[in-house]
Amino acid sequence: MARESTRSKLAGRLTHPISRPLAIAYRWVDERMGITDLAYKGLYEAVPRRGAWAYTLGSATLIIIALQIVTGMFLLWSYVPSTTEAWESLNYLAHHDEFGAIVRGMHLWGAYVLLLVIGLHMVRTFVSGSYKKPRELNWITGVMLFLLVLALGITGAMLPWDQAAYWTTVVTTHVLSYVPGLGHWLQEIWRGGNQVGPVTLTRTFAIHIWLLPALLVPLIVVHLYLLRRHGEHGSWVNYRNDPGESERERAERVLRAEPPYPAVPSDPGYAVPDDLDEFFPSQVGKDAIISFLLVLVIFVMAVVVGSPLEAPANPASLTYVPTPEWFFLPLDQLLVQFPQAWMIPVGVFVIPGLASTLLILVPFLDRSPDREPWKRPQLMVPALFTLLFLIFEALLAVNRLFNL
Amino acid sequence: MGTRISRRRFMVLATNLAGAGITLLIAAPIVGEVLQPIFTRRSHPWVRVGDISQVPVGLPTAYVVQMPTTQAWKVPPVARIVYVVKLNVGNQLQVLSLSNVCTHMQCDVHWDIDLQQFLCPCHGGFYSITGTNVGGPPPKPLFRYQHKLAGETLYVRDRLTEA
Repeated sequence: MARESTRSKLAGRLTHPISRPLAIAYRWVDERMGITDLAYKGLYEAVPRRGAWAYTLGSATLIIIALQIVTGMFLLWSYVPSTTEAWESLNYLAHHDEFGAIVRGMHLWGAYVLLLVIGLHMVRTFVSGSYKKPRELNWITGVMLFLLVLALGITGAMLPWDQAAYWTTVVTTHVLSYVPGLGHWLQEIWRGGNQVGPVTLTRTFAIHIWLLPALLVPLIVVHLYLLRRHGEHGSWVNYRNDPGESERERAERVLRAEPPYPAVPSDPGYAVPDDLDEFFPSQVGKDAIISFLLVLVIFVMAVVVGSPLEAPANPASLTYVPTPEWFFLPLDQLLVQFPQAWMIPVGVFVIPGLASTLLILVPFLDRSPDREPWKRPQLMVPALFTLLFLIFEALLAVNRLFNL
Repeated sequence: MGTRISRRRFMVLATNLAGAGITLLIAAPIVGEVLQPIFTRRSHPWVRVGDISQVPVGLPTAYVVQMPTTQAWKVPPVARIVYVVKLNVGNQLQVLSLSNVCTHMQCDVHWDIDLQQFLCPCHGGFYSITGTNVGGPPPKPLFRYQHKLAGETLYVRDRLTEA
């Protein structure tokens, strides 16, 4: 009922002639492309009502990735990917183009906020057990997206070709050389030779602006398709999980549910949240507010703090102390803790590789029907320890590098 | 029912406002960056062309001048042609410093000895020895560099002045 009235209202607005030709043109296109139908399919979907603010993190991630793509597109209007001009072009940006400097600041702070928001999105999904059947692939594509964003972060940090960028490039590309057997070749392929040089920057640039985004965008499409296919799981607060409910009552509840529920009815007790709301405008409104606040933070940080540009890359410096980007501090600390030829690969490949694999395998490690975090201590406790370990490693690295 | 609709309208309003805010915050600095060249003042330093004492009267002579690029960050200077033309006007010796950039589509024109005209190879534009457009599609005469003579040494500025 409420839905019908909005539908006619929106349709009325869309076809109401601001000017007649516009309305006629819209109808002509709509008849052939079905834009209105598509918009309705996208906007009117059932979502769980309770805890909706916690479910805004995914859309916030999407909006910030869009921000990264747009600001990145326009950084290309000012940045030159060459060892002789990369630093010069960004230095020019910093001193002669106030708006361009803000665009660069937004790209940097967008990356920082994006990593934080993805982290929170993952924590939320993990705590609510949303990765369980049938949503295992939502989780797996999500982990892959997270790893891609980390790769985008580290390759992006190499592009300004100042001291920070140069030494990030040297260390990161040299890490590859410790891959048993293939290491030397891998390093040479990325560097374009023995040494870090012009080819290294060109290749890193190509990886950052094309290779990784070309993997990222289709994965996002799959991630969103899966979300729409199964519906937002929400969390334990959305499910009564009444043990007294009979098979028949449960089946009836599933049958009455609005699309996209029921999800694949493999888990009937959880297939349909108790209380559903419309995606638009209830959820979209909350999503928009959170995304706006995050974009505002990014904008303010870009204007107030901006993006640093250190001295130009100088391979002959005796005083410069290279420090990694903050999101790579735990890995950097592992480099210190794993000295000696045979142990280095353990620190840089075995441990992070094992951690990533376990992260991807989470839906298969936790196959119980329970969603409440306190009923899944076998997963929550190790995860908490891993998180604390990462923070501890980062603090050790900060202490080592900045002598706090 | 009434409160539900007003809550709904509030969320629609919030969506529109937040969406507009996001768009504005991203678009504003980008628009500023893209438009930046329009609002940038540039310097036009004097550049040495060379000794012009050997230039014959009536024969436009091409000098390759290293023009500094003030458009952006530090880059090597750009080589440009300056046609130095000496003419006898009445009893006075007149010196012109002509750009060789065609006013039609900005191709490079050259002095054609046989035709005794500047010729543009792209679309067949012709200019007289003073740079006046005399044939083909060019809409304007060749531009003249601002110039000054110190003895027999000629200096020009990249600020082009119309003939």
